[in-house]
Amino acid sequence: MSHLLVRLPLLDLESFARATGLHPELVRRLVALGLFDAFRDATGDLCFPPSQLAAAGRFQRLHTQLAVNYASLGLVADLLDRIAELEAALRTRARTPGGVPWT
Amino acid sequence: MADRDFYDILGVPRTAGPEEIQRAYRKLARSYHPDVNKDPEAEDRFKEVSEAYDVLSDPDTRRRYDAFGRDFRQVPEGVDPAAYARTGAGAGTGGRAGWARRPAGQEVRFDTGEGIDFEELFGGMFGGRGGRAGRRWGPMPGADQEAELPLTVEEAYRGGHRTITLPHRGGSRPLEITIPPGVRNGQRIRLAGQGGEGAGGAKSGDLYLIARITDHPRYRVEGRDVHVRLPLTPSEAALGATVAVETPGGEAKVKVPPGSSSGRRLRLRGQGMPNPRGDPGDLFAEVQIMVPRTLSAEERRLYEQLADVSGFNPRSASDGRTRP
Repeated sequence: MSHLLVRLPLLDLESFARATGLHPELVRRLVALGLFDAFRDATGDLCFPPSQLAAAGRFQRLHTQLAVNYASLGLVADLLDRIAELEAALRTRARTPGGVPWT
Repeated sequence: MADRDFYDILGVPRTAGPEEIQRAYRKLARSYHPDVNKDPEAEDRFKEVSEAYDVLSDPDTRRRYDAFGRDFRQVPEGVDPAAYARTGAGAGTGGRAGWARRPAGQEVRFDTGEGIDFEELFGGMFGGRGGRAGRRWGPMPGADQEAELPLTVEEAYRGGHRTITLPHRGGSRPLEITIPPGVRNGQRIRLAGQGGEGAGGAKSGDLYLIARITDHPRYRVEGRDVHVRLPLTPSEAALGATVAVETPGGEAKVKVPPGSSSGRRLRLRGQGMPNPRGDPGDLFAEVQIMVPRTLSAEERRLYEQLADVSGFNPRSASDGRTRP
């Protein structure tokens, strides 16, 4: 678990598109599908937290390698996140650290 | 990885049709996709499965693979498989029964002027999958991976360096890691850039090591607190004593107050697991009164004398103290 001590700058649409290798129009479409956590700045333009670069990488892999279509990507990503959370909870709860309780 | 038969990799017979091959690939791809399976070994398996499918899903490359085996990319168009086999190139059997490896030192050369860069072929594989579906994505970053890191209580307490081995391109690679002191059970240690490889020049993912504190015969760890058993004689428990107790950080002294019964927990503040960012955990020593299995004649006499004069009854409804 890490905590940000400084606020990282948001990426504008052009920077985000360049960093992910996506066409800006496709980025807009993916935002409309609710795949990216995007914000509007004071001028109304889209901007993205840097964490969304990793999300874009995952969408890219799932789309190109498993042929998951854009509409399904959000559901697949949400389910994978939930599974990861449940697995992490299982790891900490399923067993008593240090062996069989002796009390 | 480089020597396995593509049909074996997909688990299909050599007579399998395109649908069967696709079905096998889709199933394996879902199992080993690096975003679904965080095991570092899964990435190699996924690449292997994808490469096998890339070859076997295309009728032309499949035909050439069946004829020339793994070396089919180095065989120019128009070469007769039987003639190729006669050169001793190793393909040999026309595919159906597999092929033998090329004898050591024996090289087959075709002067075609065509250089084949296997890295390029392999590196472009991920893009290639998308290419068929109409690729619009750029370089693809590698996925994050997870691996379990078993640690003894003492290792988790002290931290330190350790070399772990990770699967890498069909082989393995060593990785020197630093374990912070006081690592907790289930804590994730991030190794930036050590996860799945990126494609097209994109950066690699991160590797997360999940600390798993193994069972210990003496210690039980809960968060940063450490619990130990504290065996006491009846007289130590009744009269009080200062006794030594082993902790993950070494020996500590515990002051046992008079009248301590089994199950009482004595806290040694700050003697639990260290905390690099705050207060360390506590050590809880739990009293466990032990009696000798056999008594000497003198011990028996004194215990009987004690029983006669003592009015203590631990089974009474009050505080256990009854009037004689």
